[in-house]
Amino acid sequence: MTDVTLQDVRKEFDGVVAVKNIDLQIPDGAFVTVVGPSGCGKSTTLRLIAGLEQATEGTIQMGNQEVTGVEPKDRDVSMVFQNYALYPHMTARRNITFGMKSAGDFSDEEIDRQVEEATAVLDIDDLLDRKPGELSGGERQRVALGRALVRDPEVFLMDEPLSNLDAKLRIKMRAELAKLHSEFETTTIYVTHDQTEAMTLGDRVVVMNDGRIQQVDSPQRLYDYPETRFVAEFIGDPAMNMLSVDISRDGTEYEAVGPTFRIPLPEADGLETAAGAQALLGIRPESLSVADSADRSSFPAEVTVTEPLGDSLLLECRTGDQEFKLHAEPRTAVEPGDRVALTVETERLHLFDPQTGEAIYHAAAAQSPEVTSTVDSTI
Amino acid sequence: MSTREVFTDHLQAGVLLLPTMVVSLVFLYYPTVRAVGLSFYRASLAQGDVFVGLDNYRRLATSSEYLQSVLISVLFATCVVVGVMAVALCVSFLIHEITVGKGVYLVAVIWPYALPPAVAGLVFLFIAHPNIGIFTSYIEALGVDVNWFSHGPQAFVVVLIAAVWKQVGYNVIFMTAALGNVPESLTETAELDGVSRTQRLLRVYVPIISPTLVFLVIMNTIYGFFGTFPMVDLMTKGGPAGATNILIYDLYRTAFQFYEFGFASAKSVVLFIAVGLLMYGQFRLSDRYAYYGG
Repeated sequence: MTDVTLQDVRKEFDGVVAVKNIDLQIPDGAFVTVVGPSGCGKSTTLRLIAGLEQATEGTIQMGNQEVTGVEPKDRDVSMVFQNYALYPHMTARRNITFGMKSAGDFSDEEIDRQVEEATAVLDIDDLLDRKPGELSGGERQRVALGRALVRDPEVFLMDEPLSNLDAKLRIKMRAELAKLHSEFETTTIYVTHDQTEAMTLGDRVVVMNDGRIQQVDSPQRLYDYPETRFVAEFIGDPAMNMLSVDISRDGTEYEAVGPTFRIPLPEADGLETAAGAQALLGIRPESLSVADSADRSSFPAEVTVTEPLGDSLLLECRTGDQEFKLHAEPRTAVEPGDRVALTVETERLHLFDPQTGEAIYHAAAAQSPEVTSTVDSTI
Repeated sequence: MSTREVFTDHLQAGVLLLPTMVVSLVFLYYPTVRAVGLSFYRASLAQGDVFVGLDNYRRLATSSEYLQSVLISVLFATCVVVGVMAVALCVSFLIHEITVGKGVYLVAVIWPYALPPAVAGLVFLFIAHPNIGIFTSYIEALGVDVNWFSHGPQAFVVVLIAAVWKQVGYNVIFMTAALGNVPESLTETAELDGVSRTQRLLRVYVPIISPTLVFLVIMNTIYGFFGTFPMVDLMTKGGPAGATNILIYDLYRTAFQFYEFGFASAKSVVLFIAVGLLMYGQFRLSDRYAYYGG
């Protein structure tokens, strides 16, 4: 176990910048997930930590040691790949032990003991004599995990390890990964494009876009206090709605004013600077609901599409020329074309700068972040 | 694969197959049958054919010159297969490993294969000529007296090197392609696990590309027995004292220098059966050892 620190790390491939000078601190024993859309540089970041790619600029430290330029094998990291990367001609046992035996750092007894331990945890004792071709996707991934485990590395690196599994298996393996981590407490860096995986697995979630780190936070804080419009829209499904509004001020009262609505904004940091300017009002689909009757904070909208999800009814609505989605109560009697009054949970509103995309205001910021979270904010 | 009726009408299919069938019949099957038939005759241009039964084969079995040729051929083909594949595997691995200038190295390795065999033979003849060869003086500087025009074992080695040099390119094409198909993540896993380069080549790459290697063993065997004819012909003419008199060259001389067509046919039948059996054996072995996935 060790901590990992990236300092001003930049990676270029033939003039294309994949990672743009990122700083990241991963504490000892943490489970950090890195999430972002395809091509955001998350896999490259992981490969830089593994040593499979060399940073163009910047330094990477593990523990107190700088590892920039150190060979992958000398970094004491294990990696699990999306396609499992099992040697197809070797049995599961041989796959697990091959690296250890080749490296020559372990005695045979030690290897046997480690294999026994790892395979028992992963429940693959019965599969050891089979070749990868005779194993299912989930079993292969377990063997690949076993191979990573037996080496007892300082850091686990996982590159979308569950992406090739079907939905059900993925959820099961997700829980197992979480269990494994709580058992071994090895520093783990887990790259995924799936925000659910990122949120459920990570103590800390790193959101990346376009080669930059957008935000590093605990899953809940990421959801509640997105620092940029990108994070707000990337985390949460369906994405946070963004409505163009003007911020008007009347004494100490602030309102977000759109063509068809006026939504009161609870007092919190950032409102004063936002007043009088344009902004993007961020509302999560679950913060909106269909009102029984119109009142001061409600506004009219037209339902364009209804999607019954069972536990809720997803409505696509339009007000003026702005479209947005909301989760309504299931079995709400609305049809496409209906006009409804909507109310907003004003404690859960966000404002973003339309130009830079940076968050300028969170309605819930009244509850100070330092109080709601004990997360070390260095990461 | 299930049979599928592509053509509704057999005539149409037949017409399309006809050219291939005619060529195969006239230039492959007919000569084969004719050669087998001819091997039971004493055939010469002057006196016509006389049926002699198994006489030609009896002569073969008792000819010490022919038995020496068999030994030379087997030794030569074995050395060609092993030599070509060992060199090609090393070269392919190096080309696979480097990131800069892959194409240049690939072309450099492949060009001898692109030369017509006769040209390659001539080029090598001059490169290694005992008196005027450009390599000769360097080799002599090492204390070897280069005189392969009269020294049997030296001649064998020189022809062998030429044969290997010519065939390496062909093997490298296939091997680099096969190595290119090995998933990158396997290489990376091996790197992370601290598997050494040699281990990676021998324990990971070779088993995975084994189907390609089996194919190459068979192609190189055919090359070793048949394809090396032009080099022998141009460089040593089977000599000195039969040291490079491989079966295919021996056969050529019997037929086209001594005009003993019946005897030559018997030799070709023996060679055909021997190489056929060898190939069958190689296929059987490969089924057991090559990794074909699954």
